[in-house]
Amino acid sequence: MALPASFVLGLQRALGAKHVITEPEQLRVYECDGLTSHRAIPELVALPGSTEEVQTVVRACDEERIPFVARGAGTGLSGGATPLAGGVVVSLARMNRILEIDLASQRVVVEPGVANLDVTCAVAPEGFFYAPDPSSQQVCTIGGNVAENSGGAHCLKNGFTVHHVTGVTLVLPDGDVVELGGKALDPDGPDLLGLVVGSEGTLGIVTRVTLRLVRAPEAVQTLLAAFATTDAAGAAVTGIVAAGILPSAIEMMDRLTIEAAELAVAPGYPAGAGAVLLVELDGVSAQVEEDAAEVETICAECGAFEIRAATNDLARALLWKGRKSAFAAMGRVATDYYVQDGVVPRTRLPEVLRRIEVLSEVHGLRVGNVFHAGDGNLHPLVLYDAEQGETERARDLAEAILDACLEAGGSLTGEHGVGMDKACSMPRMFSERDLEVFGRVRHAFDPNGLCNPGKVIPTPRLCGEVPGPYRMHPLERMGSAERL
Amino acid sequence: MPSVCSLEQAAQALAAAHDEGRRLTIGENLTTDGLDRILEHESGDLTCTVEAGLRLSTLQYALAEHGQRLSLDPPGDPTIGALLALNLSGPLRHRFGAPRDLVLGVTLVLADGTIASAGGKVVKNVAGYDLARLVCGSQGRLALIARVSLRLHPLPKSSQTLAVETEDAVSVVCALLGSQVQPSALDILHPGGILTLFEGSPRAVEAQIAAAQALVGGVEVDHEAWDVSRRRQATALQRIRFDPGLLEQTLAELRDAVVRPASGVAYSGDDTPSNRLSQSEVEDRLVERIRRQLDPNGVLAA
Repeated sequence: MALPASFVLGLQRALGAKHVITEPEQLRVYECDGLTSHRAIPELVALPGSTEEVQTVVRACDEERIPFVARGAGTGLSGGATPLAGGVVVSLARMNRILEIDLASQRVVVEPGVANLDVTCAVAPEGFFYAPDPSSQQVCTIGGNVAENSGGAHCLKNGFTVHHVTGVTLVLPDGDVVELGGKALDPDGPDLLGLVVGSEGTLGIVTRVTLRLVRAPEAVQTLLAAFATTDAAGAAVTGIVAAGILPSAIEMMDRLTIEAAELAVAPGYPAGAGAVLLVELDGVSAQVEEDAAEVETICAECGAFEIRAATNDLARALLWKGRKSAFAAMGRVATDYYVQDGVVPRTRLPEVLRRIEVLSEVHGLRVGNVFHAGDGNLHPLVLYDAEQGETERARDLAEAILDACLEAGGSLTGEHGVGMDKACSMPRMFSERDLEVFGRVRHAFDPNGLCNPGKVIPTPRLCGEVPGPYRMHPLERMGSAERL
Repeated sequence: MPSVCSLEQAAQALAAAHDEGRRLTIGENLTTDGLDRILEHESGDLTCTVEAGLRLSTLQYALAEHGQRLSLDPPGDPTIGALLALNLSGPLRHRFGAPRDLVLGVTLVLADGTIASAGGKVVKNVAGYDLARLVCGSQGRLALIARVSLRLHPLPKSSQTLAVETEDAVSVVCALLGSQVQPSALDILHPGGILTLFEGSPRAVEAQIAAAQALVGGVEVDHEAWDVSRRRQATALQRIRFDPGLLEQTLAELRDAVVRPASGVAYSGDDTPSNRLSQSEVEDRLVERIRRQLDPNGVLAA
């Protein structure tokens, strides 16, 4: 399906020929995001350099009724940036400037292509940081974070992207531009900003983002506690919450993921641990010291056989090392894996973990559990061997785990998004009427259905298709991105 | 005044108005006073699900028995539905945010009687459109809010308030916001006064009060001081938004106001309109398009 020549020419004139990609071998770079099982070659990739140029591209697409998909670094795990065959990819890679650092307001204004970590790097010398820290933060972009409402290990206390975006410039699917929010909070009227953050690129293209900065805390303390079982570690999590303590992060790894991490990066976690818990506390020194002592007591009471503490960055990095490498480390114990992203109410964690164990036995495939225990966000890693024909079984197991999360009152996805990956699973969490109302809201923004179609809301055409097996993303092969 | 007691009743009342071309104003000729149950409170999860007609004070009372609270403290005693629809907050806005920051999910009744849910009851969830946030600030014009799931916080073990009298509020605020103390609330009672609330363990609160006093002076006062702030907020004639970095210019233009400096929000007793930031026409049109999708017959139109 070729694009009209006038369309291509028009974009080349407006953006400059080198910012319009149509060569098949170059287009292949954009065929997928972090969800590598879904691939499609776009017809054209546009690289606009400004809000006005994004408008030009979107208007041209609207006129010719050509679907378009915005793309940041392509690290998303749910296929939010998977192109449409015959469609256009709008890459925001050139829009990567930090436009304003306004410390008096505790805000920064950035273009969407700025990498997450670069924001913190820009303000760290002044004693500030940008709180959301998805594990791909070295490469993932703020625009992508806005689309997915990205979280990270520390969102337990600090909140998600939606809590830290105070304003956006949004190019609507018809090319109009709207400013939502700004540096001040609580605009009048319905919270459109809250709707747009996390809408997975289906309501328009964000071209400018105002972010809230957080003052670096006075003290940070990290504890690692080793337990015999995940049940015991889970009881410690419950105990910490019941004591009224709000750590910035509570992460858990089970035996299989600890073993894999030891093989991969040898973090030297306590030998024989069936589960380790990483608890990070931050805030004013007096509070952190008190809370840390209490967390240690609770862990000991719940059967922790070893507790390590880190108070400086170097020691902290060592404790986090195994956790941060957990996904990549799975390559040491399996040829293929599928990452699930389900959420359960925290109090249901132990029973859901036991259920996953049973499901794992029934399906005859191993499951590693590494997850954000504090907010009940599970990342079960289903291990399989595609060459042994286990792909189908792995998918079934991953789906069964998701059902267990939903039965416990949880969610389909805590941070990876619906995208293409889970659009067809949406009816398991939402009624037909819920989805119909989502569709009405989408229609208000995108009446012609051109803005990232086929994502988030299930369509009959999409949900008849079966995705292929997991393949490594080019960035992972290069070692510049990992799954967490 | 018809008050609905169930989702189904709400759906019937709205659908009838929709079919007959009547208008309804939520809170006036359609109220949710009868929808006032706490449906679920799982204290270990720090979440609850309630019906929208429940009064905030009733909820806080029930939560306090479990050592928890909803960290929103607007003036008055709104229903949870009004809390969202009017996007109400009080001094705790400083640290804990507005309703949009604490809402996890909603069940809505649309003007045509459609009952639809969005979000969920877990603290972390990115599935589907965030209609729970969308209806925050919607003033009852998009849909009837029937059920709400909320994120809770533990009640602090102790809390203390520091009051500073000053003619240079800007310097005091900058010193506090630039430091590493973490107040739960920070209000300027313009002109001349600043209240700062510290919460946490007794020792940590003492330490923060001492650190703050070393920076800006001031004295400890009773928590009743916050009632003054809330009362002035309640009787304010207008709400003003400003870039937090422009605090000095903002204060210079105000005669009488309660100001939340980190949020860039002020509640002013001045009657001269001075709203520095307002919505654009494009945004208004967008809101109108959403409203028409959700309520094509204009049952809930103002």
